[in-house]
Amino acid sequence: MLALADHPAVQGGVAPLIVALVVAVALARTRFAWLAIVAGYATMVALSTGFSFSPLTVARKTVLLGLAAPLIGIAIDLGPRPSRAMMTALAVAAGVASIWVFMSILTQRDTLKGIAAGGGIAVFVALLVVSTLRLRDDGLRGGAAGLGLGLATGIAGVLSASIGYLVAGVSIAAGAGALLLVQVLLSRKIAPGVIGMLPVGLLTALFAAGALMLAELPWYALPLLLLVPLAVTLRAPERAPIIVRAAVLAGYSLVAAAVPILAAWYAARGSLS
Amino acid sequence: MSKSLALLFLAAVPYTAAAAPESFTVDPMHSSVNFAIDYGGLNIIYGKFTKFGAKFTMDRAAKTGSVDVTIETASVDSGDSDKGSRPRSRDDHLRTADFFNAAEFPRMTYKSSRVVFTGDNPSAIEGSLTLLGVTKPVALTIERFKCNPATATAKERCGTVAVGKFKRSEFGMTRGIPTINDEVALTISVQGILD
Repeated sequence: MLALADHPAVQGGVAPLIVALVVAVALARTRFAWLAIVAGYATMVALSTGFSFSPLTVARKTVLLGLAAPLIGIAIDLGPRPSRAMMTALAVAAGVASIWVFMSILTQRDTLKGIAAGGGIAVFVALLVVSTLRLRDDGLRGGAAGLGLGLATGIAGVLSASIGYLVAGVSIAAGAGALLLVQVLLSRKIAPGVIGMLPVGLLTALFAAGALMLAELPWYALPLLLLVPLAVTLRAPERAPIIVRAAVLAGYSLVAAAVPILAAWYAARGSLS
Repeated sequence: MSKSLALLFLAAVPYTAAAAPESFTVDPMHSSVNFAIDYGGLNIIYGKFTKFGAKFTMDRAAKTGSVDVTIETASVDSGDSDKGSRPRSRDDHLRTADFFNAAEFPRMTYKSSRVVFTGDNPSAIEGSLTLLGVTKPVALTIERFKCNPATATAKERCGTVAVGKFKRSEFGMTRGIPTINDEVALTISVQGILD
């Protein structure tokens, strides 16, 4: 049993999926069903590296922000409906937080290179967070985006030589997949709210930036990830059964996710073959 | 009597000066920092770091010394640096945050706290390894130690092989355990030239 828990497929995929399914089903009738995302992610952390925060590395700061994101989401979702300006401010705060996450690496670079890298990462994180927060009212589009972003960051991560980012990305995909499944089984959408979409956007953005800074993901894969939340806003057959809509949106998301994956593949192999 | 003692003391002064601590800088051409790790009980993976610097000092009369090694983690070489048809090589993977996290922690260090002598030669080193921002005590056993004049410069050179073991999980390097063993064998094999 212990040996099974050591396998990356279990740590990143199977265990987070099971835990996210349980949490999503248990909380399906509340506003907190999307806590399943962070439950799946926390399961991956517990099985792969454990919860340790000293020294406070990039990976550990990412875990801290991942755990804080749903708490911020709860505080916002329990209040009056947030304005667009508030969502933008939240995305900017996420961008600033990303500079804190990567500060130990940025300060080792030449001043200009450090500023350029930090600024680029902050803008990317803010854009991905705001793009995912826009999906907070639609559980199917939010779930499809989480599925695509998780798989894209995970597969691009392993192509960049990091098993850690593979299991991290796949755990988000597993959580989002679990939520899509629960919505299909219950035949009703469950709005993610900020509780659901802030962790999806923030964590996948930090995984991609981490694979850039700590592994070998090419920089141009980052803007290509923004295609995923954009793709799930395409039209879906609104009158079709929920399973059909979920499948169509997941299809859009996976096609868009293939683009940054191909970019990582190209960077690793020097060709697309 | 007291005059004789004073003369004896004065006569001893040059010898005391000669026995002052000597400082050696490690010659990288004749030195290596190696590691070995059991892979699933099947075989042992050997690796080394190609970029490192080290100094050691020794006071043979006082039987004290010190060792200071700084290793560039990005220089890890496990014999698989050519990715061939794969997306990445093993050395690429070893440099990422899964293992040595070279971007965030570009250096690992070993600093002695005490050098133990047996007879006239050092036999063990007590010290601390700093890896991934974590510092833990790691003891090294000196398997051999010998000095002689370097052929080219006639300066004294000393060579040593020091070995030790540590658990990488104690430094936060947990990826792949238990398939890739937790225990790492470290071998520091250096020649130092007297400064």
